[in-house]
Amino acid sequence: MTTDTATPPAATPPGAGQTAGAASSKSKRKRVPYLLLLPGGIWLIMFYVIPMIQLAGVSLQEGSFQTGYRFTWAWGNYSAAFTAFGGHFIRSILYAGTATLLALLIGYPLAYAIAFRGGRYRNLLLILVLMPFLTPFLLRTLAWKVILADSGWVVGVLQSIGIIAENGRLLATGWAGVAGITYNFLAFMTLPIYVSLEKIDPSLIEAAQDLYSNSRTAFRKVTLPLSRPGIVAGTLLTLIPASGDFVNAQLLGNPQQLMIGNVIDSRFLRIVDYPTAAALSFTLMVAILLIVIPYVRAVGTEDLVA
Amino acid sequence: MPDATTGEEARGSHEPLAVELSGVTKRFGDVVAVDDITLEIGENRFYALLGPSGCGKTTTLRMIGGFEDPDAGSIRLHGEDVTGLKPYQRPVNTVFQSYALFPHLNVFENVAFGLRRKKVPSAEVTERVGEMLDLVQLVGMDKRKPGQLSGGQRQRVALARALINHPRVLLLDEPLGALDLKLRKEMQIELKRIQNEVGITFVHVTHDQEEAMTMADTIAVMNEGRIERLGGPTEIYEDPRSAFVAGFLGASNLMQGDRKGNAATLQDGTTIALPEAGAAGVDGDIQLGVRPEKMSLQAPEAAPPGANSILATVVDVSFIGVSTHYLLRTSWGADLVVVVQNLDDERHAAGSSVAATWLPQHTFVVS
Repeated sequence: MTTDTATPPAATPPGAGQTAGAASSKSKRKRVPYLLLLPGGIWLIMFYVIPMIQLAGVSLQEGSFQTGYRFTWAWGNYSAAFTAFGGHFIRSILYAGTATLLALLIGYPLAYAIAFRGGRYRNLLLILVLMPFLTPFLLRTLAWKVILADSGWVVGVLQSIGIIAENGRLLATGWAGVAGITYNFLAFMTLPIYVSLEKIDPSLIEAAQDLYSNSRTAFRKVTLPLSRPGIVAGTLLTLIPASGDFVNAQLLGNPQQLMIGNVIDSRFLRIVDYPTAAALSFTLMVAILLIVIPYVRAVGTEDLVA
Repeated sequence: MPDATTGEEARGSHEPLAVELSGVTKRFGDVVAVDDITLEIGENRFYALLGPSGCGKTTTLRMIGGFEDPDAGSIRLHGEDVTGLKPYQRPVNTVFQSYALFPHLNVFENVAFGLRRKKVPSAEVTERVGEMLDLVQLVGMDKRKPGQLSGGQRQRVALARALINHPRVLLLDEPLGALDLKLRKEMQIELKRIQNEVGITFVHVTHDQEEAMTMADTIAVMNEGRIERLGGPTEIYEDPRSAFVAGFLGASNLMQGDRKGNAATLQDGTTIALPEAGAAGVDGDIQLGVRPEKMSLQAPEAAPPGANSILATVVDVSFIGVSTHYLLRTSWGADLVVVVQNLDDERHAAGSSVAATWLPQHTFVVS
């Protein structure tokens, strides 16, 4: 996911001036890819690599907002942050993981229906999947607040059929937070899966049926493996941002069971404890990498590229 | 090539037919793709469904395979009614037009796919896949992915993947369409060899008349959802019976004539003798035809007695190595094509008058 540092473009210009004559056109051709990388490289260095290094520095500082922060290799920040907020980490991964699973369970059938049964309404259906993005993220989440409100009809119906207790509520529960994340990231799950399903030649499914597979086996042995790249992309695009999300937990979730994103948010902006916030951010990054790398290795997609 | 027994002749015998379609119709919306087809395909035949695109041949094949359900009629395989059964419940396998190899599986697993579904023990799978790859000459390719194979190799994998299941009938949907000419010729011989070796009924859909004639022992020529002509390659070539078949299978010279008994009079008064076999028929306006390679050219006065002969003027001569193609124009303005083998130096120049002659038995009458 993370692009490595863009050192190559920085390395070329010195050598470029020395070549001359016939050799120059050859070296020019060699330089073109680097030139193409340049804008993106500069962007990443300025807005990604430098802030990351800065953040790493901050995470090892000591002090307070009043007295100022000093860099002291304060590794203790990490252990202190993890001790204090370990529960938030685990909850974040749990919420994000549950939301990813739910998004997969909702998104896959949705993508499948659009890809194979959408017919001429395919594009319309895709636009409908993207439609929520036309309203701002915050507004969408606030709308859920209204839907899940204690006096709202959803709670009313669920109470009357006994799914939730008489005085039970939906808002300000962990499930409301998970539901919000699932909803907000559903399109990120659906679209990559749709793309991989849409590419499958229908005659492959006929071939599987011809070779003694019923519809279920044909799906399991052909459609599912061929849509794996979409599943991997969709789960990563959901799991990674969802782990760091703080809006859904804050607006819909239980205030006593916030996610790590909320802690980082409040440490940075309200408590102004930069070192702890930075240490938490790095710990979250490492935690996500520790989950994602084995996942990509296990269900990796290399063997799909012939 | 000996004349093959046609479906009609096989009807009398008691051995069960490999494929039997009766009154099969398929509509897509308002379009009738297959129009009340009745077809009988005997055991161990190499059977071709031949016709232009949109004639219903692929739809017919897909109905035998179970990928389309007929709107009317029934389909029997070895006497068993399979109408309405799913593809995986039928004892047939298909070689798809674009091969439809599974891109995520290697050659071995592609070929083994059907056996795996039937829960064949692993050791037997390995053995049978090995035998199959040997049959289609792909030994050593088992670890490759379809994406790493050439068109001809993919074709062989598709064939092996279908044949390994020992289907009672193998369906081939334009299997050679994606190959270049040279490879197509090789695969035609190869397919024929494999069919002889495995002794399975092949039903082969193609729009290429030469391909059908090379491989098939029985050809059903289809047009607009119906079977126009059914028979062995020689039989339907020599006596196409309809203008469509005459034009679709090779080239023909068709002429209007007024028939009286065993002879017909052309527009300029020339009398053409009809073959003995074609004598049964109604008098009056008919179309008669003759194949370009059955005609020969002489000076007008040198026409041999007993042969049919038309006087015409040479319009164009093209020498193409093995033969010379003449374009002639008759006195009433019709064009004739004559193909003459280059046996001697005698050439007829453009503008000269000639007599185009042929034997009466080479004349055919079309409806």
